[in-house]
Amino acid sequence: MTNASAGTEIGPVPADRLRADADAAAGRARAGLVWTLIRTDFKVRYYGTVGGFVWALLKPLTMFVLLMGVFSFLFASEPNYKLNLIIGLFLWDFFAESTKVGLTSLHAKGFLLSKAKCPSWILVVTSISNAVITLAVFIMIILLFLAGAGRMPSVAGMLMFVVYCVSFILIVMGFALGSSVLFLRYRDLNQVWDVVSQAGFFLAPIIYPLGILPERFHFYLYLWPPTAVIEFSRDVLVRGVIPTATAHACLAGVVAISLGVGWALFRRLAPRAAEFL
Amino acid sequence: MTVIEVTGVSKAFRIPSVRRDTVREHMLGLLEPRRFERLQVLDRISLSVKRGETLGIMGRNGCGKSTLLKILCGVYTPDSGDVTVRGPLTPILELGVGWNPELDAIDNVCLVGAVMGLTLPELRRRMDEILAFAELERFANLKLKHYSSGMASRLGYAVAFAAVRDVLVLDEIFAVGDAGFKAKCEERFRQLHAAGHTIVLVSHVPHIIGHFCDHAILIDGAHITVQGTGTEVAAAYVGMLTGTALAES
Repeated sequence: MTNASAGTEIGPVPADRLRADADAAAGRARAGLVWTLIRTDFKVRYYGTVGGFVWALLKPLTMFVLLMGVFSFLFASEPNYKLNLIIGLFLWDFFAESTKVGLTSLHAKGFLLSKAKCPSWILVVTSISNAVITLAVFIMIILLFLAGAGRMPSVAGMLMFVVYCVSFILIVMGFALGSSVLFLRYRDLNQVWDVVSQAGFFLAPIIYPLGILPERFHFYLYLWPPTAVIEFSRDVLVRGVIPTATAHACLAGVVAISLGVGWALFRRLAPRAAEFL
Repeated sequence: MTVIEVTGVSKAFRIPSVRRDTVREHMLGLLEPRRFERLQVLDRISLSVKRGETLGIMGRNGCGKSTLLKILCGVYTPDSGDVTVRGPLTPILELGVGWNPELDAIDNVCLVGAVMGLTLPELRRRMDEILAFAELERFANLKLKHYSSGMASRLGYAVAFAAVRDVLVLDEIFAVGDAGFKAKCEERFRQLHAAGHTIVLVSHVPHIIGHFCDHAILIDGAHITVQGTGTEVAAAYVGMLTGTALAES
């Protein structure tokens, strides 16, 4: 026997103990997998340092400064332009980043899928964890910015904003589930999404106020999910109004459709995902 | 007690005349429909493995051995038939396990170990042991992209051997590392075998199947053509290959 054997408990675990321990052990292992995926994604993306995380925040902050510098002159008549811009830009950054990562998540983690049975939905859902962490930091920055401008929203407004952010996360999760399995079959889907995403940046009222467009087009703009989340967030944080119940029902519908379609696609295509890696 | 039960499992792959992997290729190929050839890899395969037994699987390249293993491990879904595995299963498929090249050995062990069912406290407790088995203690903090393929494979074997709780599935055992590492793997394998673990082992090497396996199967033409002891099946495999070689000459 060698000195460096890779195991101290060599015998098989008795059958009754196996059954009793199986569920608890599987649950603990799954929790460990989720934590390790989140931790290692953070490490890879931000080089495992706070500096790396701050570096990643510089991109949307730089965009904010640049766009504010240019467009605040164009929309000088808009009293809340800066506040609206920072909310729109940060929410968009979360959407663009998380959908991009979510779309390629199964392919990126293919090395775990092809060699062992692995709960593939965990790979997809945890892939957007870093974007969610960044969103949480953005929320803090937005609230600080509002406080700095003397426009601290009400508690109800902040709670509604959190609800919209959670809705946004669920919409992205649905997209990630559906698109991640499609990407294994259509390997240029990320390029297609890049184009859609670029067009979507201008379709959502991020750098321009929605009001400059004729009202008859508003309905179509609201079909693009980021528009609703951004506008509703501005309503509760900046304008101090709560959107109507109908508006909330529509947002809930978008969340349900995104999750429903994403999950249906995932359930249908994920069992054979390993064959397409 | 039967630990692994495979009943009437079939698996076929659709092989297209032209492979199209992108939206662009599908769009441009709309007017040129593809033909699909059905490749039946496994056809109504049935087998069972009792607790503590070692089953060997032999066959030519492309006969469906690895596909059968992947179905056993839950990586592939069978087109029809049932697979029941009563107990936690640890796979070592395709010469080791996959890695994230941007992470170091410790993080990769945590990632792959968690997929194989180890909890984080277990992994932390056994990390030194795993790295020692792979002989990679000095390179624990080196990213996997800087590892040689042999080093990465050794790490794969070390994690999988540490993760075994009941059933071990091995594709091409002892195919990595130098003579010393192979001897260590063989020793570990013998310990697992002697301790009563259930093992499924694919190999092209007749003496391995003959020596280690209580019983074995030979797959050819998507069917199990020979079943018997490890020695019998190893002899049948050699006979099949030499018969083919004689016929070709």
